[in-house]
Amino acid sequence: MIWTIVQEESPLPINQDVLWYKDAIIYQVHVRTFYDSNGDGIGDFQGLENKLGYLQQLGINAIWLMPFFPSPLRDDGYDIADYTAVHSSYGTLDDFRKLLDSAHSRGIRIIIEMVLNHTSDQHPWFQESRSSRDNPRRDWYVWSDTDNRYKGTRIIFLDTEKSNWAWDPISKSYYWHRFFSHQPDLNYDDPAVREQMWKVMSFWLEMGVDAFRLDAVPYLVEREGTNCENLPETHLILKDLRRRLDEQFPGRMLLAEANQWPADLRPYFGDGDEFHMAFHFPLMPRMFMGLKLEDRKPITEILQQTPEIPPSCQWSLFLRNHDELTLEMVTDMERDYMYDSYAEDKTMRLNLGIRRRLAPLLDNDRRRIELMNGMLMSLPGTPIIYYGDEIGMGDNINLGDRNGVRTPMQWSGGWNGGFSNAEPDRLYAPLIQNPVYGYPAVNVLAQVGSGHSLLHWMRRIIEVRRSTAVFGRGSIEFLHPANHRILAYIRRLGNEFVLVVNNLSGAAQAVELDLRRYKGNVPIEMFGKNIFPRVGDLPYLLTLGPYQFYWFRLRRI
Amino acid sequence: MRLAEETFLTDDFVRQLSNVGEVDILVGLPTHNNAKTIGSIVKTIQSGILRWFPRERAVIINADGGSRDGTPELVTGISIDDVRRGSDLHALRTLHSISTKYAPSPASQAALRTILSAAELLQAKACIVMSPESCSVEGEWISRLLQPIRNDGFDLVTPTYRRHKFEGLLITNLLYPMIRALYGLRIREPYAHEFGFSGRLASEFLSQNSWDDGAGGSGIELRFTLAAIRAGHPICQSFLGQKDHVEQRGSDLVPALRETVGPLFSALEPDFQVWSAVAGSQPLPTIGPDHEVLLDPVRVNRKRLRAMFSAGVAELTTVFQSILSPPTLAGLQKVAQSGEDDFEYSAELWVKTVYEFATSYHKSVINRDHIIQALAPLFRGRVLAFLIEHRNGSAEDVENAIESLCLEFERLKPYLLQMWKSRE
Repeated sequence: MIWTIVQEESPLPINQDVLWYKDAIIYQVHVRTFYDSNGDGIGDFQGLENKLGYLQQLGINAIWLMPFFPSPLRDDGYDIADYTAVHSSYGTLDDFRKLLDSAHSRGIRIIIEMVLNHTSDQHPWFQESRSSRDNPRRDWYVWSDTDNRYKGTRIIFLDTEKSNWAWDPISKSYYWHRFFSHQPDLNYDDPAVREQMWKVMSFWLEMGVDAFRLDAVPYLVEREGTNCENLPETHLILKDLRRRLDEQFPGRMLLAEANQWPADLRPYFGDGDEFHMAFHFPLMPRMFMGLKLEDRKPITEILQQTPEIPPSCQWSLFLRNHDELTLEMVTDMERDYMYDSYAEDKTMRLNLGIRRRLAPLLDNDRRRIELMNGMLMSLPGTPIIYYGDEIGMGDNINLGDRNGVRTPMQWSGGWNGGFSNAEPDRLYAPLIQNPVYGYPAVNVLAQVGSGHSLLHWMRRIIEVRRSTAVFGRGSIEFLHPANHRILAYIRRLGNEFVLVVNNLSGAAQAVELDLRRYKGNVPIEMFGKNIFPRVGDLPYLLTLGPYQFYWFRLRRI
Repeated sequence: MRLAEETFLTDDFVRQLSNVGEVDILVGLPTHNNAKTIGSIVKTIQSGILRWFPRERAVIINADGGSRDGTPELVTGISIDDVRRGSDLHALRTLHSISTKYAPSPASQAALRTILSAAELLQAKACIVMSPESCSVEGEWISRLLQPIRNDGFDLVTPTYRRHKFEGLLITNLLYPMIRALYGLRIREPYAHEFGFSGRLASEFLSQNSWDDGAGGSGIELRFTLAAIRAGHPICQSFLGQKDHVEQRGSDLVPALRETVGPLFSALEPDFQVWSAVAGSQPLPTIGPDHEVLLDPVRVNRKRLRAMFSAGVAELTTVFQSILSPPTLAGLQKVAQSGEDDFEYSAELWVKTVYEFATSYHKSVINRDHIIQALAPLFRGRVLAFLIEHRNGSAEDVENAIESLCLEFERLKPYLLQMWKSRE
């Protein structure tokens, strides 16, 4: 068994700091994809629990679980049919409780999904709502006799949906949906809905869940004459949820999924009274863009446009996730460039994005993978690692929708990649089998046994990242060396300074850094602990190999 | 501070270049006290790059001859954000603008050498040089000069302009027809201050040109064009539109002749094997029209031109006896004695004059610079004749006259060869 080769760590107490999320390294995984403990071809809670030792060794301290609720699974579980139960394929509520406790005993928090905006059309609430116009739950969804309302609202899933309204033949009226037509939006103008959703959240919080990733939060409320996104009424609802959370479950966290520009995202933090964290969506494509352009401009530009957030709040950063690499938050010119650079094959494109994993996006170039992870770990925010990216898993663009990046975790080169004992035909999705990224070539077992593997490197960078709070909590000050291929910044927390220098170019570079403010400091390279020449009056000269990066602790000794 | 004795570029400039790194596009901007125009030109260049080449790695290299009016600071101080503001332009990349001083005095040779050196160090694929004096430069010029190099494999792109029928007479009456006749290529603007070229041509010229040949660095742009022709590089023309410029260069004729006719006559000697084998001429691939003519009335002091021509012919007779054949000199003296109404300096006589000057220059019958100076009054006579003949002429008439003159240069080329060889 694979996990027996992973040395078990001794139990760790959960950090009681209410700002724990600032120091977190989050691992995103779908239960279904990780490990199948009962041989039915589908990953489950028990399987995930069995693999906690692996995750603990990797160094992560929070797991973000994608939806595991009962669902017809027409949108990978984001179409929920029951908010207070678990999908039978993944186990039972008791299995989930057990996972929760085991994770906590290892110092790992659990973040779960909460899809506030919509339900599945199979949810009993919707079935009741559509059953008659007099049903008590009729107003739990947004109904209309015409499909002309809210005309100023964009369609998100352009590839599949033509309208945000869908005709319901049962109640003979239209219902509002911002995503797929089988996902009717809840009506947050109805107080009963707001109360019900808090009850749902309380259910999981009482069980011990540490945080929610709240899905699709900009779209909760609709108003005529607006684009129905980011409305003040939506913020009032979210603030009310936060108030209740703080009052009844202090130390728990809310993470916003709002694919918006930084200025539009800022209100989701409120005055520190709305979300604790929010994804920084516009940064991610610009990291890829900066790498391809070999130019720091896209990255520094978006971070300079990023407003200050309240001290208790935090950005959440990621390179890849379960969705396409979204290009909604880029200009048309940037989108064209990204498509041409990263998705020349049009089958790689989906909606306004690119449905690929990290390693294939970067041509499986270990140096670029390391550099991107280096930036992920050193820019201001809490990093999220998508399952499998720590070993450089590939994707399968021949699978529909975004399923190509949701294939089974590759644990070994053996039967089903060590994911399941089931017959291969019974797996929820086929394993990656191509010669470059297939499970015989890319798997945990092989990488555990290779000191130079990406997995070992990921463990090391996480370890170094966690060795100081400056990355999670510090400020950032960009340096502006004349060499535009160098992205350099100082992270500071109190008297602790870390200098980060990234070479975005595939060629060796020389750079002169203006470090006069840090004159007298000795740079200590954080991975090898080597001392570099003391900072003086002259520009500080560094040379970097292709895609190389340095993290220096600056010590005034 | 210099890197080493043999190094042309300063350490500081090399350091700036290393920060820029490899580029796809390089825009060279030679300047000397151009503060009046340079701001708008740099903004136009930047917007041209953003609009036409948003994905390419680009740099603006300012080679400044020691301006005292803040020109370099203007070049480097213009932010790309200024260009983007109020426009639909968006920059994907960093666009560097760097400046270096090449010498304490203005010299086009040093400026171009600086720009070519930068192009080589940065491995630029396509380059252009822009005049710092143009008032009418448009962003599209960047595209029109670069695209043929980027997309069509040309190594040199010379401009064509919309010009007044009496503008650029030195080009239309001497440089264009003579280069066409000798080298066989119909380059309308062989001496341009805006042109595009490949990195390959830049490197080749940088290594092959004699940068210390005592020519004082004059006419380097023309030498660049001739070098491209000589090496057989693909050349095309691209129409830029109207060119208005602030007059900064001295408008004296003699310096203009030194910058143009001097380098051309100088080139004939080493290029003899090339031009002596050429017969006829070929049109160049041209993007847009190869010329456009404006007909606005202009004031010309014909009396002064006439007086300068006649005085020159009379005062320089001894000099002309060394340079010109007796029939040609006699013809000129006859023209000098004619009245304004019957003043005619024919195409044939003008072509023979030019060819005999070129041959004398080759043989160094007298000091070469004196030969160039002596051509000045005769060129004025030719200009006067051209103005008189075409003062009411249409654009077509003027173009026909230029074409006839070109054909005359081509027809009399054996005459040049005969003199060249007989005087060997």
